[in-house]
Amino acid sequence: MSIACPVSLDREKLKSEVRATYAKVAENPQGEFHFHRGPEYAARLLGYDLEELNALPPIATAPFAGVGNPFMMEALPSGGTVIDIGSGAGMDCLLAARRVGPQGRVVGIDMTDAMLARARRGAAEAKLPQAGFEKADMTELPLDSGTVDVVISNGVINLAPEKQKVFNELFRVVRPGGRLQFADIIVGTELSEEVRNNIDLWTG
Amino acid sequence: MIEALQQTGFQRVRVCHFFNSFSGTTKEGVARKYAVQGANFIAYKAA
Repeated sequence: MSIACPVSLDREKLKSEVRATYAKVAENPQGEFHFHRGPEYAARLLGYDLEELNALPPIATAPFAGVGNPFMMEALPSGGTVIDIGSGAGMDCLLAARRVGPQGRVVGIDMTDAMLARARRGAAEAKLPQAGFEKADMTELPLDSGTVDVVISNGVINLAPEKQKVFNELFRVVRPGGRLQFADIIVGTELSEEVRNNIDLWTG
Repeated sequence: MIEALQQTGFQRVRVCHFFNSFSGTTKEGVARKYAVQGANFIAYKAA
């Protein structure tokens, strides 16, 4: 799988399209999209605990559009610092906040204002002040080097046109001994140039 | 993805789980054609 954006694809246009698509999801999670959303999907296809999701504010869970389940791997450290790359409406951040507890810290990073607004409201409704949200590009994180115990993410890194820059930035912020545990899409076949230049496929 | 993470400096990089994330969506056929699926990854930074 190539990790580089095709030279002919306008990277700023791609970012703009991604932002627009997820703003629409934030505004109307029940709208027509070519990917699943919501807690029932997360439980049915991704192995989340529906009871736990139903205990969270719907404002945070309804727009969820992840592709896997970062919580299936190692347990998050109590009192630790976790960041979520592309946190969307904040469902995974709220789950992470419950796991790290009140002494921990969770920072959701997203570039879509409507998603950030939902996420902040969801954290307040869930009474999880250890979850905060920052508007930033995933290639320039507003975090000091070596301060993060665990990076989670769910279906977002594939949207970045320059994945190597993202990985370099994640390596910078993770502390020695820390880790990434994230979900993303994988492609099992070599894609043609035409397919790789199709923004509609990138934004899904 | 795994190679890129290793080249960055992460260690013990592996895929842990797979998901049929696009099952039942309008892109299910495209996902099947290109073998696209969700996956969980884990990678560590040396202590």
